[in-house]
Amino acid sequence: MSVNLDLSFLHDTERGAASTKYRDEALQGVSNSVHASNFTAPAVEDFDAFQREVINYVKPAHGTTTLGFIFEHGIVIAVDSRASQGPYISSQTVKKVIEINPFLLGTMAGGAADCQFWQRNLGIQCRLHELENGKRITVRAASKLLANTLYSYKGRGLSMGTMIAGWDLNGPGLYYVDSEGTRLKGQRFSVGSGSLFAYGVLDQGYRWDLSVKEACELGRRAIYHATFRDAFSGGTVSVYHVGKNGWTKVTGDDVGELHFHYYPSEKIDEDSLGGLGKKEAEERAAAEATAMET
Amino acid sequence: MFDAREDALAGARQHANWSPYDNNGGTVLAVAGESYVICAGDTRMSSGYNILTRKFEKIDKMSGKTLMASAGFAADAVTLKKTLKARCKQYEFQNKREIGCVAFAQMLSNTLYYRRFFPYYAFNIVAGLDAEGKGAVFTYDAVGSYERTNYSCQGSGQALIMPVLDNQLKTVSPLVLPAASSATPLSEQEAIDLIKDCFATAAERDIYTGDSVELWIMNAEGVRKEEMALRAD
Amino acid sequence: MIPRRTAHERVIGPGVVPHGVDPEHDALYRGRTARGTVTDEVLRGVRGRPFTIDGKAREKAPATRTQTPYVTGTSALGLKYAGGVLLATDTLACYGSTKRYKSVERVKRVNDKCAIAFTGELSDFAYVCDLLEELTTEDFCEDDGTTRDAEEIYQYLTRVMYNRRSKFDPLWNSFVVAGYDAKGEAFCGTVGMIGTHYADDHVAAGFGNHIARPIFREFYKPDLTEEEAVEIMKSALYACVMRDKQMMNKFQIAKVTKEGVSIGEPFAVPTEWGYEKFYNPTKFSPGGW
Repeated sequence: MSVNLDLSFLHDTERGAASTKYRDEALQGVSNSVHASNFTAPAVEDFDAFQREVINYVKPAHGTTTLGFIFEHGIVIAVDSRASQGPYISSQTVKKVIEINPFLLGTMAGGAADCQFWQRNLGIQCRLHELENGKRITVRAASKLLANTLYSYKGRGLSMGTMIAGWDLNGPGLYYVDSEGTRLKGQRFSVGSGSLFAYGVLDQGYRWDLSVKEACELGRRAIYHATFRDAFSGGTVSVYHVGKNGWTKVTGDDVGELHFHYYPSEKIDEDSLGGLGKKEAEERAAAEATAMET
Repeated sequence: MFDAREDALAGARQHANWSPYDNNGGTVLAVAGESYVICAGDTRMSSGYNILTRKFEKIDKMSGKTLMASAGFAADAVTLKKTLKARCKQYEFQNKREIGCVAFAQMLSNTLYYRRFFPYYAFNIVAGLDAEGKGAVFTYDAVGSYERTNYSCQGSGQALIMPVLDNQLKTVSPLVLPAASSATPLSEQEAIDLIKDCFATAAERDIYTGDSVELWIMNAEGVRKEEMALRAD
Repeated sequence: MIPRRTAHERVIGPGVVPHGVDPEHDALYRGRTARGTVTDEVLRGVRGRPFTIDGKAREKAPATRTQTPYVTGTSALGLKYAGGVLLATDTLACYGSTKRYKSVERVKRVNDKCAIAFTGELSDFAYVCDLLEELTTEDFCEDDGTTRDAEEIYQYLTRVMYNRRSKFDPLWNSFVVAGYDAKGEAFCGTVGMIGTHYADDHVAAGFGNHIARPIFREFYKPDLTEEEAVEIMKSALYACVMRDKQMMNKFQIAKVTKEGVSIGEPFAVPTEWGYEKFYNPTKFSPGGW
């Protein structure tokens, strides 16, 4: 049996021993490692109850309409740009399309911080894949990386609904991934609080053989109408096209101005109005005025 | 991954009448110009209906070209700044140069997000000069989502001041195509006056804003400070 | 091995790991003593491992936390004046609403540059005192002619309090820290239970925030003499004792000056309870009986 000499009494007189004994754990962030092991968890019995309590304090930015669809000439992605914290609009200029690399786009709906952080993280993973394999990651693989990451956090209160869109050796690819762990391959998706409004326009106007111009206009129109009916969507409408040479941003329009594009105000032709004509109205007003005098 | 939590589950019990958070109030604001950036904050610190102190500084210089202002829970805000200052030093040692404000902005975002499940209850603004010497403002939510803007206001007076700033400073959204310049149209002095007006106004209607406002003005020459008294009631 | 005094560790007790906390250790030492072998019965509850705190044992032991405070002190006040800083508390530690311990010194001299006063749980304060003693020992061992100043103590306490709140295991105290900072200027600050901290010309922890602060705000000026400051402090204590049911009329004022820390003898302020309304509270209120 080895002899254990207790020399710990010596340590206490070391310079700085007492002050380092109780390590400042708030400074954990100073360490340089950068992955999930860095996450600080609250030391509470009921994690979910604590998350519910905390959400009242921090009110993360929420609310969105995003859509994406595949058609003959690639993919169109269209998004709004509003973020709200409760009833307060915290930003009208959120960039909800995250440019992961020149061939891959992600959209964000749900918690803004969740989306930003994990898509940034996905960007890192995709780049590492590229360096390891000497070729670009497929959309299928990229979406799976994200889905796997999110699944490992299932039940911890993340809130994300994203689309991963891109062009790889298989052609265009579009996947829906969310924080519950869902991953769906598809042709048309819309995500966010205004998605139902967008679906209405999108499904009505969609054809496989849309031209690029028509497709972009369909995306823009669908998002515009969602911003019109959904209070949590607004700001500007951004439309991206993904083709075989990567993505390009096609349009960016302020909703306030788009409104006059979709609902141009026309001069009202009074003669064409049924019922009360201008002349009759004037006559009646005059009659009422005299009646009041007498 | 969640060892700390597992440990905690073993024996911890949450207190019935105890919260790890408090709201100490306060408003912070920043405006970026073509060649300057101004970061401002009031100096009141409250808790509930008590004013704890009238000279609590919410703004700090994090590196040569970076200012940071935070409102919310003061202990979290101070801890956050201490952590970040340590990381800035580390960056300096590793990279042989000071951290720039754009890199710092993302570092703050990550630092906040690592506390996604036990957030810092702090509302932050980073103001600085970017690599081209242009003013930059970064605005955050408590869990780390962030955005570069030209002006922003956070804290208890946010809902009072932000509409005024939108009215005076809003330019074409950077998302709009074709891209238009979205720099703040004001001169440095005009921006200073606007900020002072904003705080004087917020102090009239927000109980958590008052006592005095400090402005940190950063431009090519360096940083200077101005202070103006506000209502103390 | 040399026995050493260790910091108070609530799981293990001062300096001894009792039998039953660390089965590994128990197994190792089973049946072995300096005098020979003994049976399990003798070991149980009697023997423990002497001297050091064992990290493993601490992890295995159930967590014990301040769920609710038991023995508490109420307000602590701090006030700067031209020649230094004053600290004031009463000498009462309550057990719930019982005035249980009536001669507790609630001020601690940390070193020549710093003294602290506390509100809240008495036992948690004792623990904090131990931590500060360790710092003082360190200062002594370094023997470089400097000691930690008041602002450093204040920052240290801030970290201790904040880290404990981050573990959801708070120390149930607020502190007033008084003394001199590194520049040799008077310092007066307070640290709260969840790490909230600020320095000001006058501070109050606990109920005194409502009662003493307005008085300080009214009368404070930077060039107060010691006598004036003591008078203000006494009127603040008077206001506190009249309205704070956890306060008693036995106070101590400590002062930190360039010469060092001196903690004054307990005293009482003159109070008047002989008002007619106090004898018969409902006499002048219509509808009372």
